[in-house]
Amino acid sequence: MQCLEFDALLSQAIDGSLSGEKLGSFEAHGRECRACGELLQEAEAGRSWLKSLGEIAPPPSLVTNILLRTSGVPRRARGNGLSSWLERLQEGAVAIVSPLAAAARQPRFAMSFGMAFFTLSATLSLVGVRLRDLRHLDLRPSAIRRSYYETSGRVVKYYENIRFVYEIESRVRQLKQATTPAEQQLDKQENHKGRENKSDRSGQPKQQEQRNYSQEGDQPVFAFLPDDPPVVPGATYRRLV
Amino acid sequence: MEDTHVAALLVRRCIAGDSAAWEELVERHHRRVYNICYRFAGSASDAEDLTQEVFIKIYRTLASYDVERGAFTTWLTTITRNLLVDHFRKTKQERRTDSLDAIPAEEADATPLSERIPDHAPGPEAKARSRETGEAVHEALQRLSPELRETVILRDLQDMDYRDIATVLKVPEGTVKSRINRGRAELARLLQRTYKQVI
Ligand SMILES: [Zn+2]
Repeated sequence: MQCLEFDALLSQAIDGSLSGEKLGSFEAHGRECRACGELLQEAEAGRSWLKSLGEIAPPPSLVTNILLRTSGVPRRARGNGLSSWLERLQEGAVAIVSPLAAAARQPRFAMSFGMAFFTLSATLSLVGVRLRDLRHLDLRPSAIRRSYYETSGRVVKYYENIRFVYEIESRVRQLKQATTPAEQQLDKQENHKGRENKSDRSGQPKQQEQRNYSQEGDQPVFAFLPDDPPVVPGATYRRLV
Repeated sequence: MEDTHVAALLVRRCIAGDSAAWEELVERHHRRVYNICYRFAGSASDAEDLTQEVFIKIYRTLASYDVERGAFTTWLTTITRNLLVDHFRKTKQERRTDSLDAIPAEEADATPLSERIPDHAPGPEAKARSRETGEAVHEALQRLSPELRETVILRDLQDMDYRDIATVLKVPEGTVKSRINRGRAELARLLQRTYKQVI
């Protein structure tokens, strides 16, 4: 075998597609001719190096960019990218909401869920957030953070204000209790409770009413709550968190 | 390897203006084009630009693809290769001559190169070493002449057969084989030289 023929058969020999007599004479020349033997070794080594290179993953935006520059039709929902992020978010929301909804359908929870929603929307409207404005909200993370702190700030302020009013009221009542006869005092209490429930439209009285059911005795609730926050704003605040 | 009938059908739908079919075609083939471009041009950003150019070209010339004259991947690879040649002519390549010494010294022992390539059960250390090895091979590949480089990329990285490579490069099969031999051997010499320098 000549060197030229050896060179012609080299790639096939490395592929393993050479056999029989041809392979025999090929190997024989490789042993006899130093240059060809070296070439065989190097070519084998080079092939191994090349085969060690794996496939490189293209950037995730590549297909999107190609489509934008060709058909102009955006990429459909796939296993990666923004669309799947939204999909995952949706799945997550469903996973959270459906057990809650199932629980809410149970009679004993239905009342509390209804109350909680009523409370939430009432409080939001009190602090100046209208549900129909929600679609105009800026949904960038920084904007959400900002409006969250603004809203919770207002909730806290509102809560402090009503706490202040209640404390004044309870002090006044204590003063009256100390200065009026027992029977009269009872009547006044009844009147006061009735008026309070009618005049307040914020939705909290309902909650307080419910709370009152489990309350012992018929003392006014708020006189005993200087350090225990009224349920409604506190609960709303936690919900926002 | 390629289901010619499916590919032809997909191409026909693309030509008819089916954007979903075009997207499927891009999804199917962009990895191949990107990898050829990356291994030839050397950098990820060039590969990204070139891959986009390739698909723009394909989008415009898809109607000229003739199923009878060969597999779609061969046609695609030919367009990719022609763009790479243009790119090579336009950009004067700055050859790096000093960067192959990134290979760790402990690998530079006397065992044959092919035996040193890690091929199984890589731990974190072995993985890091394998990544460095990969970088060294990739850089050595950039130092081959463009003719040898493209031939070994198509053969050893894209697993194309000699006949298809000959079609893409428009040279006889004998030339393809000879370039493969020289390309592989030259790459091994470059890497061996680097190891000796490190020692
Ligand atoms: Zn010889």
